[in-house]
Amino acid sequence: MIDIPSLERRWIKYKIKRLAPYALATLIISGGLIIFLYSMNRDDVTPPPLQPEIPLVKVTPTQIIPIEPSIPIVEQPIAVVTPIITPITVARPALVEAAVAWKPKELPKKITPSPLPIAKSIQAVAVTGTPLSPPIVRPDSQNKPISIKQDSTAFDIHEIEDRFKNNANPHLGLYIARYHYDNGNYSEAYNYALKTNAINNTLDESWLIFAKSLVKLGRTEQAKKTLQLYISQSNSEGAKSLLNNLTKEDAQ
Amino acid sequence: MDHSLFSKPRDLFLDIVNPRDYVQIDSVSHMYQNLKASVQKPLKMILLYGKPGTGKSMLLHKLHHDLSKHQKVFMIDIPIIDEGDFLRVLAQKIYGYVNRDAITLTDFLELSSAVNYPQPPIVLLDEAQLYSTILMEKIRLISDARALKFVITLHKTEDEDIIAKEHFQTRIWESIELQNASAEELKIYIQKKLLKANCFDVANMFNDKNIKLITKLTKGNYRETNKLLFSLFSLYVWYEENTPSKIKYNALKTKYIEMAGIQAGLLHD
Repeated sequence: MIDIPSLERRWIKYKIKRLAPYALATLIISGGLIIFLYSMNRDDVTPPPLQPEIPLVKVTPTQIIPIEPSIPIVEQPIAVVTPIITPITVARPALVEAAVAWKPKELPKKITPSPLPIAKSIQAVAVTGTPLSPPIVRPDSQNKPISIKQDSTAFDIHEIEDRFKNNANPHLGLYIARYHYDNGNYSEAYNYALKTNAINNTLDESWLIFAKSLVKLGRTEQAKKTLQLYISQSNSEGAKSLLNNLTKEDAQ
Repeated sequence: MDHSLFSKPRDLFLDIVNPRDYVQIDSVSHMYQNLKASVQKPLKMILLYGKPGTGKSMLLHKLHHDLSKHQKVFMIDIPIIDEGDFLRVLAQKIYGYVNRDAITLTDFLELSSAVNYPQPPIVLLDEAQLYSTILMEKIRLISDARALKFVITLHKTEDEDIIAKEHFQTRIWESIELQNASAEELKIYIQKKLLKANCFDVANMFNDKNIKLITKLTKGNYRETNKLLFSLFSLYVWYEENTPSKIKYNALKTKYIEMAGIQAGLLHD
């Protein structure tokens, strides 16, 4: 006689034993699948490479328009310079005496500095608003050439001039002379170079600015004489070179 | 009195070799016809071999059952290991020579020559692998003397192949190999056996899935199939008596087949 209840228990045991590997394999595969999907999702969550929200626009300059000052520069008369030239034409000891005799307080009365063109040009730029903006520029119809000159020292030069008046430092004088020469104010350059030479007659550059200012003012012969005098005193190479150039220009 | 629907089918699959229970399957039937034809040829020995449970004994019993109607046939289904007893039993059963003492081979051959049969008597030896080498050599000598015609069955194992090689290689003999049944043959075997006993309802319960599982468990071996089905129907008898609601009469339950497999030792828990 077969013991059926016992046989049923054996059958359950057999089924568990038989199905266990399949269940385990299913479990492993499912687990692997879940991990794989999870890792895939994590990869998806990772932020994408950063991209600029605003697309970069390549701006190519269309045209550079020089801005010219609308107000023409009026050159000041140089008549006041004449009486001061006399000491220059003399020899070095005479130059020293002339420098000593020079009275700076008289100059402001005769020489009224013209309004700086640079400042005007800056104002013009400020009024224009956005001159670099392409839509405003109309190259065909309103094609006025504009040149912008920015000089942050323009407003400071007066302060330096004041300081020079107070302490008579030849280096400040040379600086002011160089500044005016570079900006085309040759009469101012001439005056300040002259004052500087009076204080210190050994500054080579001051003498050269003095001579070049004379040339610019159309008094080339006086410039040559001054240079010759200075060369005889200092044997300056720079002065020699400038004198040679002037001589050559005359010969041509 | 057992009134269960499954008690009769259960008893059909008792592992008893009875030629009347022989089920005619095409492949087996073909082999059997070959065997019968070979027996009629002047062959000295016929070898019937195959794995255990492939139907060798059944075929031998069937042959004995069929041939005994026409000629002198003696079957030794339980091997007689002792040489003297073997010859003595043969002399008694075939030639009617009764002697309490053991006889020698010479005596046996003299006896066989003294008795004249129109057809050589046939001796069927089942489980011949159990005979000793010396006795097998004497069987060969008797066969060579054409005193008797032997049909022997062997289990096909490595050792038995060696025996076959030693004793039968140089003899004029014919060998027939029996093999396990296919699923289709097993289905025919089961259903024919049930239908033969008028168990129509039970025969209809076997579907292809059941047969496939039975073939898988038994590997098509007839003996294992008999054991499995005996256990299976024993289970059904029990369930029918105790919990009949669990039985479905339109098909066999896989669970019960597997339980029967465990009971028959074909599945291990």
